[in-house]
Amino acid sequence: MNMMPPLIAIDSLLSRTEVAGLVALAARAIPPLWPLESAIAVNPLAGLEDLPFADAVSRGASMFGARQSLPLGTWRSLHAAGRIDERALRDAAIQKLGGLYAALALIGPNVSRLDILMARLLTLHAPQADQPVAALSPDAAFISKWCAAFFDQTQAASPMPNRELGLYRATLAVCAYDAEYRELTGEAGQHLLLSVPRDPLEAAAEGLVAIGTPSGQEVSKLTEFVTRLPGWAGHIRWRSEKADREIAAASPAGMADLLALWLLLARAGAISPPAKSVGSCETSADLAASLGLAAPTAENLGETRYGHFAAIAAMGEDELGGIFQTATEWTYCNTLVPQLQSAARTIALGGTHDAQLVFCIDVRSEPFRRALEAQGRYETFGYAGFFGLPIALHRHGDLRRRRLLPVLLAPQHDLTEAPVFGRNREAASLLTRQAQARKTSHLFAAGKQGAATAFATAEATGALAGLLMAARTLAPRLVQRVERLLMPARAEAMTPSLARQDDAGKDAFTLEEKIGFGLALFKLTGLSAGTARLVALVGHAASAVNNPYAAALDCGACGGHPGGSNARVLSAILNDPAVRAGLAANGIAIPGETWFLAAEHNTTTDMVEIFDRHTVPESHLDDLASLARDLARAGQANRQRRASQLGRTADDLLIGAIHWGEVRPEWGLAGNAAFIVGSRALTKDLDLEGRAFLHSYDWQTDTDGTALTTILTAPMVVAQWINCQYLFSTIDNDRYGSGDKVTHNVVGGIGVLQGNGGDLRVGLPKQSLFTDDGTPFHVPQRLLTVVLAPFNVVEQVVESNDILGRLFGNGWVQLVVIDPLTGEALRWRQDSEFDGAPTRNTFPLEFTL
Amino acid sequence: MTDAAPGDVRLHRLRKIEIVLLAEDLGLAEDLLKAAGVGGWTMIRDVAGMGHSGFHQGKTIFNDQTGLVMFVGVADEKTIADVARGLARLFEKRPGVTFLSDVEVMRSDYFAKAEKNLGDT
Repeated sequence: MNMMPPLIAIDSLLSRTEVAGLVALAARAIPPLWPLESAIAVNPLAGLEDLPFADAVSRGASMFGARQSLPLGTWRSLHAAGRIDERALRDAAIQKLGGLYAALALIGPNVSRLDILMARLLTLHAPQADQPVAALSPDAAFISKWCAAFFDQTQAASPMPNRELGLYRATLAVCAYDAEYRELTGEAGQHLLLSVPRDPLEAAAEGLVAIGTPSGQEVSKLTEFVTRLPGWAGHIRWRSEKADREIAAASPAGMADLLALWLLLARAGAISPPAKSVGSCETSADLAASLGLAAPTAENLGETRYGHFAAIAAMGEDELGGIFQTATEWTYCNTLVPQLQSAARTIALGGTHDAQLVFCIDVRSEPFRRALEAQGRYETFGYAGFFGLPIALHRHGDLRRRRLLPVLLAPQHDLTEAPVFGRNREAASLLTRQAQARKTSHLFAAGKQGAATAFATAEATGALAGLLMAARTLAPRLVQRVERLLMPARAEAMTPSLARQDDAGKDAFTLEEKIGFGLALFKLTGLSAGTARLVALVGHAASAVNNPYAAALDCGACGGHPGGSNARVLSAILNDPAVRAGLAANGIAIPGETWFLAAEHNTTTDMVEIFDRHTVPESHLDDLASLARDLARAGQANRQRRASQLGRTADDLLIGAIHWGEVRPEWGLAGNAAFIVGSRALTKDLDLEGRAFLHSYDWQTDTDGTALTTILTAPMVVAQWINCQYLFSTIDNDRYGSGDKVTHNVVGGIGVLQGNGGDLRVGLPKQSLFTDDGTPFHVPQRLLTVVLAPFNVVEQVVESNDILGRLFGNGWVQLVVIDPLTGEALRWRQDSEFDGAPTRNTFPLEFTL
Repeated sequence: MTDAAPGDVRLHRLRKIEIVLLAEDLGLAEDLLKAAGVGGWTMIRDVAGMGHSGFHQGKTIFNDQTGLVMFVGVADEKTIADVARGLARLFEKRPGVTFLSDVEVMRSDYFAKAEKNLGDT
């Protein structure tokens, strides 16, 4: 490994500022990686969204050594199981071949190009492509080791020294004592430790020259290094760009630090070749034989026909998989869109409702909403689960604030907690118990980690720990009951406070801001001013024990946290008479008899917790009782439906939510496939199978497209991130996902490793995507966005927002628009469907497949 | 740098840089300014305007990362030239525009070079 290049006198050609720009550009190749406590779904190829989807997938495969699609055998199984329509597969194959005329061109007697491609897709034995090597190279292992030590969040008994100097300098300081470094870099490495600049930017500038990077290739070279460890690089991006200042300050590190370390190894000749992606393979002879063709040569088939044949024969597994994925998308689209068109032509509005409920757009809300609507006269809406509140909450006892908003936004209001009105005693008891629990936990940790006390602690507490373990395994419900007895329910004692957030006595929001949040709810969802007696704002959360990915099941719009706090804040705002008056002055005159409730849907148990019941007026208690009863019934029905998907009993799901050995408490957002923007009347009679994000929208009250712009540029973007995370985590769970949960190892409180070292894992674990027999529960397909609105409004919105032009034009999201008056559907055409032609103004194109 | 004193106010000549770029690239500009040692800057979000690829929409409600942002920074000539040099690299890959101009300020110490910047971790 150690090539020991001669040390050279460096004439650094790049200034620190130039290097800073190049480093920042290289950093864009990977997305930020949020820590486990607020796990957020991101597109692992977000840095490539400027490219058409297929090109980005191919580029990503080469950058990360990843697959581009599921294995062919898996696609065939899905096809055989009826998940992919035969006609859609043929259509996708025809498109791949350049259209019907080209597809039907004959290669041999009664054998067309299409026949050959279909044989490759369905019958010819699946190519055995080379599997990527999963082992971590020694250079990457070395950097990972020091990243894990440097970023540790108080888990280690002996923290890495000199962390205040930054990742690069702190690592330099320990390299001299690291046998692994010596083995990796040899003599040259020791010399470099003495001579390299201590400033990471200067070190990067010098390193780029020293390894002979040609001018103009610096970003490519740096990107190569950034993508070698996308997990740690993503963590650094999160710290630098998304984390609160005090978190970043605890272990200061920028991408320049990481790159300076890579360049240090590169200068010492210690860089291993990057992992290779799966290659293609040759199947010509088998293919020809299977179709009864003569030996495939230019002489036998003719020059042109042989060229066509050879092109199909040379298609790799990834390319064939791409056809299956397109067919999967068309299968779904061809089923859903006509149903929505039909519904759009017969939409009936109006009617009175016993209650209205606003849920998060999350795909898990849809089946629950349907189940509730079946119980009585309930009208439901979909809205971003943070309810439009750009807030962070400082909970009593928490070290850090919780950002209860999408990661696209920075918090604008900091809220604290206060005792629920009339519950001061319970609040005091809760806080005391929590303080005691924290002290006990600290004491135990100190005893466990202390050199002199570790064995004594194990001796003293081992029996108790064993009993607890047995109880948690054999009687999880009993343990839960005991825990509830010991610790009062937090939501019943504490609530986010809207008043007096700082020493100056300033309120969390001004009246104008509160009116603005209220107006946004009505304008963005199409909720009309004539509200029902009860309007419930329903956030969502999940229950999972001993699960590093628990936050991934919570509300993404609330930054990977439960959404109940946001619901409580907005409902309090909307029950404020001054806000009601302000809304009325803005044309939203809410009936005096309307009461806003806050609730939280537990997506693991399908139970709904209604907050602050004691504040509900007596006049509404009967309404509340009816609603609570029907929510419970809806929960029971939905739990039953989900249980069958998980192959378990409904009761078993309740145990799974509290069992520490549970690896799949729910399917989360697996199966997500569509983002539908329109009134509930459009989808109410359809079983969308928990696969659709539903954002309520009324095109009639949004003539200038302002609300639609917000919906498409924010909630839909988050949905696309989620969709891409599921898609890529399924396609290559080793590279884009986090592998098997069973062998996960939580590191430093920030992420998981596979085994005892290596890169931080990105993406979702295998158990969130695949059934136990390895069949994908989530079938990879890109998000289909369907908007019910006039074409010209949608066109103007898309063309005025770069992000939408990029997502739709590059095929990251498929857009279909349904005209509300005619039911006609048009598809936004991808830029890549033109052969280098101008890429804008391609809408509309009639939706026909 | 030449100082001027119109009336009672003593003015100091410095250089100003204005940068307009995509909001999603905000961090890139910040990194450059920090690396060059610019002590502070003004950032204007939700900048709308007409460009090569059509009209750029201004404010979106729920997403800070869409639209355009504008940075305004003032420093000595060498520092601003350093920022411009870095930006030239940046604009090879990303869209954006920059304007440089002479300005006069009253309190030059406000624009002194930052001692601690990116990389000085």
